Amino acid sequence: MHNFGFALDGAWRVLVAGLVLGAGLPVLFALGIRSLAWGAGEASVNSSGVTAGTRRPLGTALGYLLFAIVVAGVLLGLTFIVASGFGNKLSFEHIYPTIVPK
Amino acid sequence: MILALVVVTALAFDFTNGFHDTANAMATSIATKALRPRTAVALSGVLNLIGAFLSVEVALTVTNAVVKIQDKSGAPKAELLAHGGSGLLLIVLAGLVGGIVWNLLTWLVGLPSSSSHALFGGLIGATVAGLGWAGVNWNGDGSKLDGVVGKVLLPAVLSPLIAALVAAGGTWLIFKVTNGIAARFTERGFKWGQIGSASLVSLAHGTNDAQKTMGVITLALIASGDWSDTKNIPLWVKVACALAIALGTYLGGWRIIRTLGKGLTDINPAQGTAAQSGAAAVILASSQLGFALSTTHVATGSVLGSGLGRPGAAVRWAVAGRMVAAWLITLPAAGLIGAAMWWIGHLIGGLAGAVVVFLLLVAASVAMWLRSRTQQVSAENVNDDWDARPDAPVAGHSADTVLAESAVTEPAPVAAAN
Repeated sequence: MHNFGFALDGAWRVLVAGLVLGAGLPVLFALGIRSLAWGAGEASVNSSGVTAGTRRPLGTALGYLLFAIVVAGVLLGLTFIVASGFGNKLSFEHIYPTIVPK
Repeated sequence: MILALVVVTALAFDFTNGFHDTANAMATSIATKALRPRTAVALSGVLNLIGAFLSVEVALTVTNAVVKIQDKSGAPKAELLAHGGSGLLLIVLAGLVGGIVWNLLTWLVGLPSSSSHALFGGLIGATVAGLGWAGVNWNGDGSKLDGVVGKVLLPAVLSPLIAALVAAGGTWLIFKVTNGIAARFTERGFKWGQIGSASLVSLAHGTNDAQKTMGVITLALIASGDWSDTKNIPLWVKVACALAIALGTYLGGWRIIRTLGKGLTDINPAQGTAAQSGAAAVILASSQLGFALSTTHVATGSVLGSGLGRPGAAVRWAVAGRMVAAWLITLPAAGLIGAAMWWIGHLIGGLAGAVVVFLLLVAASVAMWLRSRTQQVSAENVNDDWDARPDAPVAGHSADTVLAESAVTEPAPVAAAN
């Protein structure tokens, strides 16, 4: 059952990559949403009525930074789809992805 | 003439492949109302079209994974080329018919099953009937993941598990992170999260799946002597396949979208984002790592995982069970149809045989389409509450089952099972 070995080998790699990109990026995205919400400040309700929260620019900036990382991840996915369509593949030899012929 | 039938049938398969798989990308966005149903299928259709044109790589050897009717360069086996390649054409035709009929049947009962597995099943059945058991590449040659076991069976078992783990982890973490944030931030954010990840899945689907049909049609053209270049695909084949899969996607397999988006578990935008990004990441990572997985199995697994990962959410295990059952029988069922079609075509012989096989396909398709009309699922009712309409497309329910009656026969929602 050589196929079984190949499959398990492929499966755990896909699982690790899937967890990093498929669960990691959405979590960064969620953190970005959280930062934006924190940056916008929280409205509070008290006896004098509704008070708008104070804005926190740091939170807003951090939020957009996190979104930028997520967008970079999506662009990596796009690059991969386009590259493989043209018979190329991504190489992570130099850590940062480069496009090489298959 | 037989060639024309094969080409039309292959395009028909491509079309069913499109509408069968719309759900994989768009079911979650539709169910959470991130996109309106029509907008979602239009977006997915356009991305499939673009994806199909993006793939200039030749997928001519697509059948080599499971059957031995081509050599390594993609040229058909010489012994199948007698009489204008009719031996090979009949195998391909019968295989495609097996795939289409199974795709339509699973669509009718609203179950997401893998279109590639249906195609492979049909081809395997037709090959066994035509060339015997030795004509099938069961286990590869040991040098890499290959054959029916390596390319179909093992990935089918592993992919839903991987996808479910990723999506469950993602969902659980997202709920931890966004706990207590005002809905106006989460709703809008996760709406875009879903649309982005769903678009990636659609694009990847276009590049992968349209290619398979392009490969099959080109193989048929080579077999009949109308094309000889194994490095390129005729432009009209590319255009026709891209249009067929995009149109199919745009038509929308509403029955399957409903099962995946509403039936399996009730999902909210955060879960939708986790499920769809999990699916996108697993699909792309697996094809980068050379361990290609079925989009359908991954998407289903990740929706299931998002149901498991959300605190307090329930998975309808009865629905999940029916899906797994459908996956298990996809290969043999499509294979049996493929084999039967090959025998019918072979016994009648020649052009007449191929015409009869084609007419049988038309008859079966029309019958199933008419059957679907009695209990329509469309853009209008795709999001209806699952438990309130237990007569929605579910295997075994007759069309005239009245609501009250089926409410009694349908097993109670599996809220308690979790």
